[in-house]
Amino acid sequence: MAAGDKKEYWRWAESCWTDDSKNWRDARIVTAGIDVGSVSSQAVVCVDGELYGYNSMRTGNNSPDSATNALKGVLEKSGMKLEDITYVIGTGYGRVNVPFAHKAITEIACHARGANYMGGPTIRTILDMGGQDCKAIHCDEKGKVTNFLMNDKCAAGTGRGMEVIADLMQIPIAELGERSFDVDVEPAAVSSTCVVFAKSEALGLLKSGYTKNKVIAAYCQAMAERVVSLIERIGVENDFFITGGIAKNSGVVKRIEKLLGTTAAATKYDSQIAGALGAALFGYTLMQKQGAAAAKAA
Amino acid sequence: MSGMFDQFKSWYEKRHDYARAWKARTGGQVVATMCTYTPEELLIAAGMLPVRVLGAHEPQNVTEPHIFGMFCPFCRDSLAQGLLGRFDYCEGVTLTQSCIQYRQTFNSWREHVPTVKWDYYLPMPNEVQSRFAKAQHYAEVKRFRSHLEGVTGKPISDEELKRATAIMNENRRLLRQLFEYRKETNPRVSGLEALYASLTAQFVDREEHNRELQRVLAELPKRKQDRPEGVRLMTIGSENDDASFMAMVESVGATIVIDDQCSGTRNFWNEARVQDDPILTISDRYCERPACPTKDYPAHTRFDHVLKLARDYNARAVVFLQQKFCDPHEGDYPDLKEHLEKNGIPTLFLEFDITNPIGPFRIRIEAFLETMSEEELF
Repeated sequence: MAAGDKKEYWRWAESCWTDDSKNWRDARIVTAGIDVGSVSSQAVVCVDGELYGYNSMRTGNNSPDSATNALKGVLEKSGMKLEDITYVIGTGYGRVNVPFAHKAITEIACHARGANYMGGPTIRTILDMGGQDCKAIHCDEKGKVTNFLMNDKCAAGTGRGMEVIADLMQIPIAELGERSFDVDVEPAAVSSTCVVFAKSEALGLLKSGYTKNKVIAAYCQAMAERVVSLIERIGVENDFFITGGIAKNSGVVKRIEKLLGTTAAATKYDSQIAGALGAALFGYTLMQKQGAAAAKAA
Repeated sequence: MSGMFDQFKSWYEKRHDYARAWKARTGGQVVATMCTYTPEELLIAAGMLPVRVLGAHEPQNVTEPHIFGMFCPFCRDSLAQGLLGRFDYCEGVTLTQSCIQYRQTFNSWREHVPTVKWDYYLPMPNEVQSRFAKAQHYAEVKRFRSHLEGVTGKPISDEELKRATAIMNENRRLLRQLFEYRKETNPRVSGLEALYASLTAQFVDREEHNRELQRVLAELPKRKQDRPEGVRLMTIGSENDDASFMAMVESVGATIVIDDQCSGTRNFWNEARVQDDPILTISDRYCERPACPTKDYPAHTRFDHVLKLARDYNARAVVFLQQKFCDPHEGDYPDLKEHLEKNGIPTLFLEFDITNPIGPFRIRIEAFLETMSEEELF
């Protein structure tokens, strides 16, 4: 195969959506959250504290451009201009490099707030499986973080690790989850501590006669074990919610649920936008309080 | 940062230049010391400059043949500095027993650092709570005195020991006076400044250090602090000389107001109780100082000491700066964390390596601070 024909199996679907049932022009407060992550960037726009639209795309090599491009998608789809947005909060690794943000808040706080909106006020434990790190978060009924843990310096148990396996298996990343269940016997996990080791081990398993699906199952199991070992350090308090791109991979999610003995709360929203959504909601609360304070002063 | 602490910062950044200049100026020997249990009074009395070995926080590839990869980064970094010739001005190297991992660093130093002319291992008891410990340590400190007399070829008089003890006690007293300012609301001394002052006390001529402390203490009452205080934090761990980490923490809405670390308070908190026998004065002091986890059994004396420090300095929360693979501190961590949290002090655990990822650490610190503030967001 010529180099130019090489299929990018790792490439996950970017998406842009607006809620056409809402008219942002009628809104009192329009806020945006921009989550510039290590792998993906999201822009979320909220109107009066309700989700209005989002754009989710791959992060480029420049945080300000990634932030601008992410928001541009929503603006173009809705006919909105940047000036129409009252308040912008940046989050994620590139949070301090969002050129038009009024404030930066960590993705840990934003994911908790976003999960609170997406899964409801009963959510107490959040697992954020991001592009290059993984976080276990506890929060209260308002979505305020009460405790958290992050993984260390390794992509094992993260979205980037799954991308590597998709490329290695030459199977589109969106199909990995379902294919991991198409095995005769559930295999043991591959190495769970290092993506490079896991890749070498996966190649060895293929050579020893494993089917691709069985190798994927072994990798999903490894990823599940890795994040469960993290989350068990702070414990799981129900309700449990998963955010981030890996939340879309049923092969990992179901194995996590089995290991934890609990079920992740369902949501109708895209799990990848939780951070940006939380940021936009924080912006709304801040604007509300500022408005209330100004009214009181007047 | 104003210029008030610039001299400490300069010493910190140019510590090797300082030691070389001291040696050229005085003609005295410079001795690399490992672990703050080293009775520096004896080295000072012998006319030497004790210089604590610290790491450089740079990637290195020289220690693999000499020390296990799962020994703590401070051990590996300290060994790297020796192997790379950064302490080539040191005639001697000495270790006072604390942890087994650092002993390997010492053993490799004395075998493989060619500029080292003499070495001394001081086998201090780890069980300092034993009723035999002080007598044992007294005998060992006496032996160390004899060894140093052999190195210099002249006796160390009791008067010289008493004078060295007075210098060290003054240094401890001045550092405590400096740290008193950190009890204030919005303290006039930041955590980074305190780090520069307390850490340089481990390698700068102590009399010179005392003079600089006195100068700063004279100026401090006039100082107006204009930086926001943010959340008051305490740090706990073994050694920490990571100035960039301290600066980062204090740039995101926090002030580090106190520590329990051997690079900070554990090294200078208690003065020596002056007794008739100057060796007893010195040896008892090291048995009585705030304990490192290697020397804190069977009773955990440091747990209440740490809690008291946190309360006295009104620390809102604690950050554990854990050197990866440091078994003594990791052993204490679960119970100490529980002890603090039961007493209403939340904690954050960060694992330090030779090079530290400031970006990911910043996320953790900011998120931790957000759990204690940002009420306007809800």
